[in-house]
Amino acid sequence: MTAYIVRRLFATLPVMAVVALFVFFLLRFAPGDPAAIIAGEDATAEAIAAVRAKLGLDRPMVEQFFVWVLQLLQGDMGVSIFSNLAVTRLISQRLEPTVALTLSTLFVAVALAIPIGVVAAWKARKLVDRLVMGFAVLGFAMPVFVLAYVLIYFFAVQWQLLPVQGYRPIAEGLWPFVECLILPSVALGVTYMALIARITRASMLEVLAQDYIRTANAKGLATDRVLLLHALKNAAVPIVTVIGIGIALLISGVVITETVFNIPGLGRLTVDAVLKRDYPVVQGLILVFAAAKVLVNLLIDISYAFLDPRIRY
Amino acid sequence: MSAAAENILEVRDLQTQFNTLDGVVRAVDGVSFDLARGETLGIVGESGCGKSVTALSILRLIPPETGRIAAGSIKFEGEELTTLGEEAMKRLRGHRISMIFQEPMTSLNPVLTVGTQIAENVVRHMGVPWRAARDRSFEMLDLVRIADARRRLDEYPHQLSGGMRQRVMIAMALSCDPQVLIADEPTTALDVTIQAQILQLMLELKEKTGTAIVLITHDLGVVAETTERVVVMYAGRKVEEAPVTALFEEPLHPYTRGLMRAIPRLDIEADAAGTRPRLQEIPGLVPRLTQAIPGCAFAPRCGFATERCRLEAPPLIDVGAGHTVACWEVDRVRASAL
Amino acid sequence: MTAITDDLALPPRRFSLPTAIRRNPTITFGAVLLAALIVVAIFAPYIAYSDPFKLSPINRLRPPSERWWFGTDQFGRDVFSRTVYGARVSLIVGLSVALFSSAVGLGLGLLCGYFRQVDSIVMRIMDGLMAIPSILLAIALITLTRPSLGIVILAIVIPEVPRIVRVVRAVVLSIRSQPYIESAIAGGTKNTKLLLRHVLPNTLAPLIVQSTYVCASAMLIEAGLSFLGAGVPPEVPSWGNIIAQGRTFFQIAPWTILIPGAFLAITVLAVNLLGDGLRDRLDPRLARRL
Repeated sequence: MTAYIVRRLFATLPVMAVVALFVFFLLRFAPGDPAAIIAGEDATAEAIAAVRAKLGLDRPMVEQFFVWVLQLLQGDMGVSIFSNLAVTRLISQRLEPTVALTLSTLFVAVALAIPIGVVAAWKARKLVDRLVMGFAVLGFAMPVFVLAYVLIYFFAVQWQLLPVQGYRPIAEGLWPFVECLILPSVALGVTYMALIARITRASMLEVLAQDYIRTANAKGLATDRVLLLHALKNAAVPIVTVIGIGIALLISGVVITETVFNIPGLGRLTVDAVLKRDYPVVQGLILVFAAAKVLVNLLIDISYAFLDPRIRY
Repeated sequence: MSAAAENILEVRDLQTQFNTLDGVVRAVDGVSFDLARGETLGIVGESGCGKSVTALSILRLIPPETGRIAAGSIKFEGEELTTLGEEAMKRLRGHRISMIFQEPMTSLNPVLTVGTQIAENVVRHMGVPWRAARDRSFEMLDLVRIADARRRLDEYPHQLSGGMRQRVMIAMALSCDPQVLIADEPTTALDVTIQAQILQLMLELKEKTGTAIVLITHDLGVVAETTERVVVMYAGRKVEEAPVTALFEEPLHPYTRGLMRAIPRLDIEADAAGTRPRLQEIPGLVPRLTQAIPGCAFAPRCGFATERCRLEAPPLIDVGAGHTVACWEVDRVRASAL
Repeated sequence: MTAITDDLALPPRRFSLPTAIRRNPTITFGAVLLAALIVVAIFAPYIAYSDPFKLSPINRLRPPSERWWFGTDQFGRDVFSRTVYGARVSLIVGLSVALFSSAVGLGLGLLCGYFRQVDSIVMRIMDGLMAIPSILLAIALITLTRPSLGIVILAIVIPEVPRIVRVVRAVVLSIRSQPYIESAIAGGTKNTKLLLRHVLPNTLAPLIVQSTYVCASAMLIEAGLSFLGAGVPPEVPSWGNIIAQGRTFFQIAPWTILIPGAFLAITVLAVNLLGDGLRDRLDPRLARRL
């Protein structure tokens, strides 16, 4: 078991290496002259040269690479071109809102979508099932920002139940914190929920057609035990896999959601950095997000061992 | 004729139908038989003749979206099962009537331990705490002669061989001392040597526990070895029923005769050139069950068939000593060579 | 002995459109919807009754009415015309990304499935690319280049390619392990012939299904990027742009956001339905259950 975990851990290293390499080479090989673009439309030659020096592009490629790798390993992700602050500092400042939003969305989505999927599979082809599938199809097609504005329009503008935008850290109180997160979490979570509900239903349907479920029924076991223990545990692996894949959706959506709801998190930081063409910040964010995604996938891989004994032994 | 009080299971005119895209399939078309306490009854026939569906119907395991019991009665210890509520049926299943299936490789849940799968049955039906149920699981594994039972309790099905898994299935089925055990092709998916072991085990357990067994199979050899009485099915109908020795000594239905003739035999001498007579197959195909068959279902393939056979379904005729057969031409069949 | 009648009735083999429609409602619905949108996009200049770029401050922020079907935005521009033109951008981006990523993905997938050395290197790169969320990958490229439709398409193709490579590679690997391929190789069949005659046809069905999903995903990413201001240049009316510009006055003029948003959702829905329908139809396991 530990061997399995260690193996999975080591498998993440090449992936992160590729991400780092990609980010490194993108700056050096993007079409056109990145330094000129970053410096801006009316930049003088000196300004462009200054940017180039700041990015370290004037050094030999090999030197650039080693300096960069060394810095990374020490936790130094460079300096923002515009604010001159360390990228790591910028990121840690904006971390809390994004983590709060992502976690709340994750828990709510999973907690709602899995039971919905189980019920849809159990009552397959009946009304409940058709409603769930309809919701899943619509939810998956709905762009996050459109849904966000629809929600804002009804819940915040028309009925004035929830704030239009903004974020309150938890230090300012539990209810204000939660209140500001409700609409963003729902907007962000619907697509994710649609995905999870669908795969839960599909996986459960496959499992419910298996012989061992027939055996469980032939033993006269209670329905909830058959569904939840016998069936769901077997259906779990694809569901958990999709939860991991969906994290990418979540992260992409965070960027948009924070923009719509004006939440001062990493997503907003990304947008600001893009618009100002602050590449070091974008680079740092890519590394952080990719690392988060890889970590989540690692946890998911490890969970397989707990869910399916055939992987363990 | 056994007294009614001795019968633990009484099936009368059972009709089970399925809704398919091609119409209504009459998988079981008016089947009746009795099962006496402690008896071993064999139900034999080729694939698709309705024997498995009959078994599933007894336990009402046919999913309502796919099919239903259209008519007939199934009495277990005098209680009518076709109208019993679902909760009451659940209490019966695994407890007083148990069933084991053909594919031991896929019939056990891969993510639960063997011990859990047996113990949960005991907890469910006997209401004992988990500890006690686990001890009972150990007893059962011992009973089916699985070595090193204590360790096996915490193992998963994929760590056991096919024969062992079937033993676990039997242990699970017998864990609550059922009165009836329905075994649907329990040895078909196993190697021949393991087959023999499992059948042997089932017989011994039957002696010990007094459970009545309904053994469903397409293998006449299994029937000959293990059963006391046999029901032969064809196209959803019962065509013959007899004590096992009588069936093999003098099969009366043309279909049964056809089945017997198709068994390879070692006792026939080869001729001078070293060849043995050809195996005789039954020509033709089983009928499609989507249309009602007015006459005898076997008529299109039967060498003795007359016009009457095609138009009128023959009733079951009692020829004595518990031997019944559904054939208009039984006298001609009797007179002809085996 | 009576004659044996074999009364198996086989279904008629002629293709009939009404039956095909009845049996595949999802594909039909998705395809029809998508076709309608493509028509709207192509004939935009004829359908839009006014110039989408024309500013008319005197008519700013009018609600939907007989004169302006979808109302006007804060510059007095007609939302209906802008929405109609916006369809062009979304469809062009969606279809081009689907096309290019399929072409590249098919090539890479075939190579990977066939040549082990290529496989280990390329798949490592694909894994790495997939670790970066698609919108961020696109953003990274866009940060460093001058904005244009072409760059946006390129920026979206890059994160979508790994998905296709995976699917194609999986098909190739599963076919390669089939006994008939082994015997073909043993018989001396050339690699190219194997690829073309045996492997390629089997990849087409999953490829088509995946590329519809890629198309939908691309449309969403483009709209998202434009919404953030990092997509197509603001002069080009993309649904994302239109929605972004509607943000300031959203509370008093919600139609500037909700209507283009609805169009985007419907378009993505249509493509998703098409993909789902095709997948159900082309999956050999499910196809038998008609």
